Amino acid sequence: MSDGDYDYLIKFLALGDSGVGKTSFLYQYTDGKFNSKFITTVGIDFREKRVVYRSNGPDGIAGRGQRVHLQLWDTAGQERFRSLTTAFFRDAMGFLLLFDLTNEQSFLNVRNWISQLQIHAYCENPDIVLCGNKSDLEDQRAVKEEEAKEFAEKYGIPYFETSAADGTNVNKAVETLLDLIMRRMERCVDKSWIPQGVVRSNGHSSTEQLNEDKDKGKCGC
Amino acid sequence: MDDKQIWEQIGCSFVQHYYQLFDTDRTQLKAIYTDASCLTWEGQQYQGKDAIIEKLSALPFQKIAHSITSQDHQPTPDNCIISMVVGQLKADDDPVIGFHQMFLLKNVQDGWVCTNDMFRLALHNFG
Repeated sequence: MSDGDYDYLIKFLALGDSGVGKTSFLYQYTDGKFNSKFITTVGIDFREKRVVYRSNGPDGIAGRGQRVHLQLWDTAGQERFRSLTTAFFRDAMGFLLLFDLTNEQSFLNVRNWISQLQIHAYCENPDIVLCGNKSDLEDQRAVKEEEAKEFAEKYGIPYFETSAADGTNVNKAVETLLDLIMRRMERCVDKSWIPQGVVRSNGHSSTEQLNEDKDKGKCGC
Repeated sequence: MDDKQIWEQIGCSFVQHYYQLFDTDRTQLKAIYTDASCLTWEGQQYQGKDAIIEKLSALPFQKIAHSITSQDHQPTPDNCIISMVVGQLKADDDPVIGFHQMFLLKNVQDGWVCTNDMFRLALHNFG
């Protein structure tokens, strides 16, 4: 998986209270399966997936696909024992922030997670997608959809109701996050602010491609 | 081999006692620390039984279970006992995580107290 045959290596982090389904969510995304049993995380620190990202140019025609190697990181539950440190957030470009629709406290804690991100992430307004997980457990719902939507709007972040169990919106949430990241890169003329290692472009052709796209974008303005 | 050295016996009993209290009611661990005891919990330092118990009580999980994989004990030159524990733990419904813990035990007025306690999760690549 880790061979160099890609244009970008992008690292995402899944965050949220314990038990909201981060591991299952990532497992559903990478493997298309639901695993209700916990896999011990010894030796496995992240999951990986290759995707092709196609950006739409200003003329509405899709550009050449960028081969993206996604690394999806999870916590091992260590946040129960100590607060997550900057080291944990290091190199992450995008954040999947999960709460459990059947657990109101996990929704209330989303605010704290955002503050943590603002302190530790590479910048103060990193790209985040909020996911209300366990949407399949409708009869146990404790957080209203409107309430979560309103919250997400206030913070200006996309919101999805997801189910790691049946796969609802899981791909969509991750794709939305990737889209935000790729757009951020494209509109950023000076890419020097991106911390080293966050986005690793591989080879010259893709970088040139990106510059071309960016220039096209500028002309279109 | 059957006759375990005295420090082995004391160390093993302490370890058993410690995790039993930790897993049932960790506020009771206050009895094993003194006002001079030091705890380093995941790199953060606490001194004195009050500060230590406050820290341990505030850990955000309802249930915790420890399973001891191995333990080693040695006598020190000043008649203390040093113990190292390697094990696994499970907090609420989280995945199982490995941990290491080290204790220094000192004999005070016919009883053993823990003067030093260091704890680390056995996590790598997680930051």
